[in-house]
Amino acid sequence: MRLDPYQPIPSRVIDIIEETPTIKTFVLKPQEQVAFSTGQFVELTLPGEGEAPFTPSSDPHIKEELEVTIMKAGRVTSALHSIPKDTTLGIRGPYGKGYPLEEFKNKDILIVGGGVGLAPLRSLIYALLAHPQDYKNIIIRYGARTPQDLLYKKQLSEWAKIKNINLMLTVDTADSNWKGNVGVVTTILKDLPLDLTNAVAVVCGPPIMMKFTTLKLLDLGFRPESIYLSMEKNMSCGLGKCGHCRLGRFYVCKDGPVFKYEEIKEIEDIWE
Amino acid sequence: MDIFYLKEENLFNFLKTLESEYEVFVPQKSEGKLRLCPFGFEVSHTEYILKEISSVDKENFSYNPYRTIEPLKSFFISTREPITEYFESAFEREQKPRVIFGMKNCDLFSLKIQDFVFLEGVVKDPFYERRRHQNILISSDCFLFKEVCFCTALGIMPYAQEGFDLNFSEVTSGYIVEVGSEKGAKVIQNNYRYFNPATPVQIASCNKKREKFVSNLNQHLILHDLVPKEIIPQIVKEGFNSGVWQELVLNCVECGGCNFICDTCHCFLLSDERFGKINEKIRSWDACLYANFAKVAGGANPLRYRYQRLRNRYLKKFDFFVENLGLLACCGCGRCIEVCPAKIDIREVLKKLAQQYKTQKI
Ligand code: SF4
Ligand code: SF4
Ligand code: FES
Repeated sequence: MRLDPYQPIPSRVIDIIEETPTIKTFVLKPQEQVAFSTGQFVELTLPGEGEAPFTPSSDPHIKEELEVTIMKAGRVTSALHSIPKDTTLGIRGPYGKGYPLEEFKNKDILIVGGGVGLAPLRSLIYALLAHPQDYKNIIIRYGARTPQDLLYKKQLSEWAKIKNINLMLTVDTADSNWKGNVGVVTTILKDLPLDLTNAVAVVCGPPIMMKFTTLKLLDLGFRPESIYLSMEKNMSCGLGKCGHCRLGRFYVCKDGPVFKYEEIKEIEDIWE
Repeated sequence: MDIFYLKEENLFNFLKTLESEYEVFVPQKSEGKLRLCPFGFEVSHTEYILKEISSVDKENFSYNPYRTIEPLKSFFISTREPITEYFESAFEREQKPRVIFGMKNCDLFSLKIQDFVFLEGVVKDPFYERRRHQNILISSDCFLFKEVCFCTALGIMPYAQEGFDLNFSEVTSGYIVEVGSEKGAKVIQNNYRYFNPATPVQIASCNKKREKFVSNLNQHLILHDLVPKEIIPQIVKEGFNSGVWQELVLNCVECGGCNFICDTCHCFLLSDERFGKINEKIRSWDACLYANFAKVAGGANPLRYRYQRLRNRYLKKFDFFVENLGLLACCGCGRCIEVCPAKIDIREVLKKLAQQYKTQKI
């Protein structure tokens, strides 16, 4: 950990990839290595403007660069969307606890993503694919609003070809070219090729999607301790000090952002 | 540790001497009336405000009988300050060491909460750590209480038992001075000419005074019929869906005063500013009673309504800190009661929750 926990590491934007009309991926080259494990997050500073938390979407094994996928949503993210290549941004982190890959070993892994929620999950998928023999089936279920809102189209079609990956997509509203499923992501959570007694589910997406996905998974017979959720909260410090990200007795920035449903199910209003 | 005696007429001079090494903060009196509280106790409305000793004359200086207006936390985390510069930095986070005179035990208790936040966990906060290390805390016994004081109801004594460098207790024409730390011992050593060893008679009279004051305060608190501290976490947690929050928040104007004045509230917000080629990160106190406290970039706000934010403040104090530190994060100083323009009174909020809890259980 750096001496000054508030000082960001200068990081040059070496590429900007337009993923969808409202989502861009920024490829960053930090001046010092930011060694994150998959699921941890960083605080990204746009100098003089503001800071916001993002979970890197890139392969955690790549040490020199990292990628963050950002949807234009608030003040800082809109400003980030207008920067050119070669801008220097700041990075603090990595913070929090990522995905406990140890707990996923020798299991079927169901990955459910909604919208920009696929970003952290892409990093997870890369991490899993680095040691495919450690895991059984990887079942990916991903939904977006429309076909043009689907992230990482190239990777999606590559993953679909991998033997132990089973991938299915859905959109809320189709266009004339769409041949896949239409409906929210819970509509493709059936006939899953997995062994319920030996499977985990990892969910990331907007709160409403996480809520209904969790309920559906419980319905299917997943146990609360086998469901891993990425909780989103307002964050400022990332260090467990500023008090913004409280979730019951936890701070999402330091005890999360990934929680087992079992740990948080008694907390009131978790889907708000 | 050792116990000394300081003559009354030497107090100001002693504090003045510390000015060569420290910024010395002492209470200045702002005269108010004696008034009767609803239970017929005479309570003082005089306020004490901490000022740098250089701006305080001997006549205006006052040994405060109860806490000052400002919370002790303000000496460790400033209301608003730059905390880092990037990416080039010549940042000096030096601050002259400070002596703070006149802290009460409620303040010292709250520092345990602040210490937990800023010194434990993922990292230590470098500002807080330095200031905590270099500042000298001189506490003193209370010998009067404010109408809003309820420390003993939370198991906190109105005199310091730990966590101070020096502690003062008023006795006849002087003070008993207790040494609580190495730092405190050094201060005495360097100013030994002002001090004498305390005699057993002086110490006994100090203890008597303490006892008498505690019983005084307790008599007042009995009339208030406060919620026993043991059940506070339970009634707050179980009262999550209670209508009490909505009912009591009605007049809240979202000023954040209760948060800012609170000895244990610690939340802050980081922001970024540009000054020419230099960028700064600024840290400002934040308030969970503010509308956007929990709002996320996408627009969702889990604390959308005022009643949710009022409730959040109580859950933080009586659930979060109990779970994580084993302490209720309230010291009974009553600052939030005095500051609130909506007259939202923590004693009453808890009482209402307790009443409802009882009727539900029956
Ligand atoms: S709450 Fe207790 S310790 Fe604090 S000022 Fe009042 S009487 Fe003194
Ligand atoms: S001090 Fe009173 S009015 Fe102001 S935010 Fe707190 S509860 Fe609301
Ligand atoms: S972001 Fe500051 S405490 Fe979690």
